[in-house]
Amino acid sequence: MAQFWQQVVSGLANGGTYATLALALVLIHRATGVVNFAQGEMGMFSTFIAWSLIENHGMTYWLGFAIVLLISFAGGSAVYGAVIKPLQRGGELAVVVATIALLVIFNGLAGWIWTPEVKAFQSPFPKSLITIGDVVISWQDVGTIIVSLACVAIVFLFFRLTRTGLMMRAAALRPGTSRLMGIRVTLMLAIGWGLAAALSAVAGMMAAPVLTLEPNFMLPVLVYAFAAAVLGGIDSPVGAVVGAYILGVGISMLSTYVDYITVAPELQLPVALGILLVILLFRPSGLFGRTVVRRV
Amino acid sequence: MALLELEGVDARYGPIKALHGVALSIDEGQMVSILGANGAGKTTTLRAISGLVRKSGKVVFAGKPLPRAAEAIARLGIAHVPEGREIYGELTVWENILVGSCFRRDRREARRDCEQVLENFPRIADRRRQQAGTLSGGEQQMLALARALVAKPKLLLLDEPSLGLAPTVVSAFYDVVTKLNRDAGLTVLIVEQNASIALDVTEKAYVLEVGRVALEGPSAELREHERVRASYLGY
Repeated sequence: MAQFWQQVVSGLANGGTYATLALALVLIHRATGVVNFAQGEMGMFSTFIAWSLIENHGMTYWLGFAIVLLISFAGGSAVYGAVIKPLQRGGELAVVVATIALLVIFNGLAGWIWTPEVKAFQSPFPKSLITIGDVVISWQDVGTIIVSLACVAIVFLFFRLTRTGLMMRAAALRPGTSRLMGIRVTLMLAIGWGLAAALSAVAGMMAAPVLTLEPNFMLPVLVYAFAAAVLGGIDSPVGAVVGAYILGVGISMLSTYVDYITVAPELQLPVALGILLVILLFRPSGLFGRTVVRRV
Repeated sequence: MALLELEGVDARYGPIKALHGVALSIDEGQMVSILGANGAGKTTTLRAISGLVRKSGKVVFAGKPLPRAAEAIARLGIAHVPEGREIYGELTVWENILVGSCFRRDRREARRDCEQVLENFPRIADRRRQQAGTLSGGEQQMLALARALVAKPKLLLLDEPSLGLAPTVVSAFYDVVTKLNRDAGLTVLIVEQNASIALDVTEKAYVLEVGRVALEGPSAELREHERVRASYLGY
């Protein structure tokens, strides 16, 4: 039983990382109508900046963390303004291709600037373990769960309670009509891209101490986050977050209790995604996705 | 004094020219309608005024030329209730109304106006926490109007508000609009296919045909006009 609870906690920690990135994917999908395939690499790039601030410029972890959030926000907005917005006239496919191009560009740039060799990224949490009964869990896991829940809560409160949040939701739902309400739609979408970039930076900085830092470390995280978003419903923030935790715990369970996967860790990703495909066959719009009903 | 004046206004969708030198003028406190068949350019005229369609020619609002961006035009006091109502179906009724006042800097007054306007629409006030997409067509039209009013507009543009609504609902809607005009002095420009009701509620009307103003005059006179009777009133 101890092993079970340990696996739940570590699954929730991984799920928290996926949830943060999945939330970023959902934000972009609602605002721009496309999946941003570069979302993980944007988080990876942010994490490298954080590494550089902490290792080369002697900043404390949390100061570097805060500065990187600001840089990522500005960077995400800039990507929207410089690349996505001009391409939107060319249709969704043009934007999707652009995000794939950005994925490759960020990946290549990171390798060029910081070299592809693996770096250790320090954890902001104590190395010690927490023991409850015979269950032993790490501060890293607990910290990751707390940070991811905090991110999710902040994003939800921002959209529920602030005027800017309401304007952003309106701008995403009906861009043309929102302009008639005096809403600066382009600015709202730029804020959305900035917010998503900041979220993916958090995901990167939470994942890096566990996965170690190198230009490809966010690719599997992106795949899981994408799977979580699709599982929950790509247009449902709640769904994406719940989907991410389900996925995190599910993978944890699979790799502990299913012998094949314990023996062959390479099977983790394919098996997880195979199960996902089966679920989607029965619920194409995801667990929390709704088919929109409209009265005319 | 004219609140809004258009002179020689052209508008196009890509290569297709939709308006050819449209001229019209609306005085402050007036109610004016634009009539015409499908594709005559009625909606395009409204979209040109509110900046959703690129236009050329002269457009003067409250003595000044209009800016280019739709959001800037809205902030000057032109509220456009678009065709098909375009409410935010996923947001609640109350959020829909708040969105209409979002740009205002006088936050506290804006909020009070939202409460006030909602009070004047008891049917939708009862459903303020409900998702707006679940409202009936008539209620959605009222909500779209309420959402426009909280922007405190000087000029209200209504695009086909009667479309798809039952006759009693249409007349209830126009009662509200007429009352706003009479009591609050709101200037209103209405685009309608339902020529009969439009001529009833407005004092002046324009008839558009293939992107040009074909006829204009006091609504009472146009009602008697042979071409209007034959083409738009059907008797």
